[in-house]
Amino acid sequence: MDLIILTQYVLSGLVIGVIYALMAVSITFVHGMMKVVNWSMGEYYMMGGYIQYLLITMLIGPSLWFLGIPIAFAIIFVLGVVIQRYMLHPMFVGESERMDEYATIVTITLMILFRNLAIIFGGPYQYSVPDYFPPTDLGPLPISGNRFMALIGTALILGILYYVMKKTWPGRALLGMSQNRIGIQTAGINVRRLDEIAFGIGVGLAAAAGALLAPVFLVWAESGSVPTMKGFEIVVIGGLGSIPGSIIAALLLGLIESLGSVFISSEYRDLFGFVFLILILIFRPNGLFGDRERLA
Amino acid sequence: MSILQVNNLAKHFGGLVAVKDLTLSIKPGEIRGLIGPNGCGKTTTMNMLAGLYKPTRGDVRYHGKSIVKLPPHIRTAQGIMRTFQIPKLFSEMTVEENMMVPALATSTEKTPEFIEALENKATEKLTFCKLDHVSHLLAKQLSGGQRMLLQIARGLMVEGLELFLMDEPFAGINQVIKETIMDAIMEMNDNQGITFLIVSHEMSSVRRLCQTVCVMHEGSLIAEGSMTEVANDPLVIEAYLGGQNAASDS
Repeated sequence: MDLIILTQYVLSGLVIGVIYALMAVSITFVHGMMKVVNWSMGEYYMMGGYIQYLLITMLIGPSLWFLGIPIAFAIIFVLGVVIQRYMLHPMFVGESERMDEYATIVTITLMILFRNLAIIFGGPYQYSVPDYFPPTDLGPLPISGNRFMALIGTALILGILYYVMKKTWPGRALLGMSQNRIGIQTAGINVRRLDEIAFGIGVGLAAAAGALLAPVFLVWAESGSVPTMKGFEIVVIGGLGSIPGSIIAALLLGLIESLGSVFISSEYRDLFGFVFLILILIFRPNGLFGDRERLA
Repeated sequence: MSILQVNNLAKHFGGLVAVKDLTLSIKPGEIRGLIGPNGCGKTTTMNMLAGLYKPTRGDVRYHGKSIVKLPPHIRTAQGIMRTFQIPKLFSEMTVEENMMVPALATSTEKTPEFIEALENKATEKLTFCKLDHVSHLLAKQLSGGQRMLLQIARGLMVEGLELFLMDEPFAGINQVIKETIMDAIMEMNDNQGITFLIVSHEMSSVRRLCQTVCVMHEGSLIAEGSMTEVANDPLVIEAYLGGQNAASDS
């Protein structure tokens, strides 16, 4: 195979991987901070897409599409804070013995609620958001402008997240909470407030992904399903709770899907990722970067 | 007035009664020991005092005011600090960051002068706890004893610290660090008037540090007094040795 063509497929895989990364990071962020799995993450992604669609078609117009991403983040951040405060917080009150089950029931209920609300208000239609950018070239790879912008946007958002978490004191407090919830409480920090911020940031990231990818994968009530499935796949491959693990796993999944489509068949694109996931579960059950649990 | 007054405190986990009707009073400036056989409810009591567990019933009064409904971070802000047998540190952060994060994350002031003052305070407390030479290391790289010292040093960063709750501060620690911790406790008590409630199985350390010792057994307080007094109390002897059962077994 021509080296140029192979490079194109590798680059294409990496681009897809970076796009997947944002959703995976949002899932692993919430889990890392609060130790709960948020099954409704795809619905925040879906809402981000709807917000972007409404903003572009009714308020800011296609030329200011980039403003929709922070706006979608902000709106869903506030929604996330409210949901955490009134629906998820009760599981941290007292000595809840079944926190995981509680979170599962609440977040699956929210998933059903938000999907049905989207159908009630948006109807059973798929909405198309105008292109963000004309087709362009990424080195030897001709790429759609929307994917190119998604690549740039994802890199930028992940960069901002990295800066906030590593370089600011509230970010370090969030990292502290992910490393030791009891330690952060007894050191004098309001863990309830941190939970709200962490959940808000997590679902805000999913909404930002939805807004960023709105022109790539149409906007509709179930548009969050595939990104969520890919996101969970990546999170398990990278290791639950590991943000770098999620980013690397997303790149690997993008590459595997892209190269598998070329060398085997594009019909089995999703299958390649699941085979990789099964291999990881067999040989590294905690994922590539997951912590091994101490049993004794 | 007592700095800490515990009235009829009880904690049930389903059908298990971990603490029942515990009443005790600690005066300001005291170093109080809390001892008892494994499973007698010492750590559960500490968790209720720190706000990590909500009591099933009873009251905890700090400086005369009930704190039983306050969350842990508010109790810390009021001057109550708690350490754990297994240190609760931020393992992926440096020793210095472990010291700074709580103060800087909660403060709205982020001026260079404030941060510098905080850094100086952290250095001073780390030097006091003989950890200044490892301030650049990640917490997970420290030895067990150094981790315990770091918990204590982090506690000293709390503004207006008045009551230090320590859960097994000497467990599994070498003699040198044990001496360092004991010296630090006595110095904090003498110079800053900090009150201590220390849970420990290390009787020699408790004897050396504590004027008064409380003994718990099966969730209840069974004796209170000097170490010599409680060591000769028949109830305490029976709790530790199993009384006539122990004699008949041997």
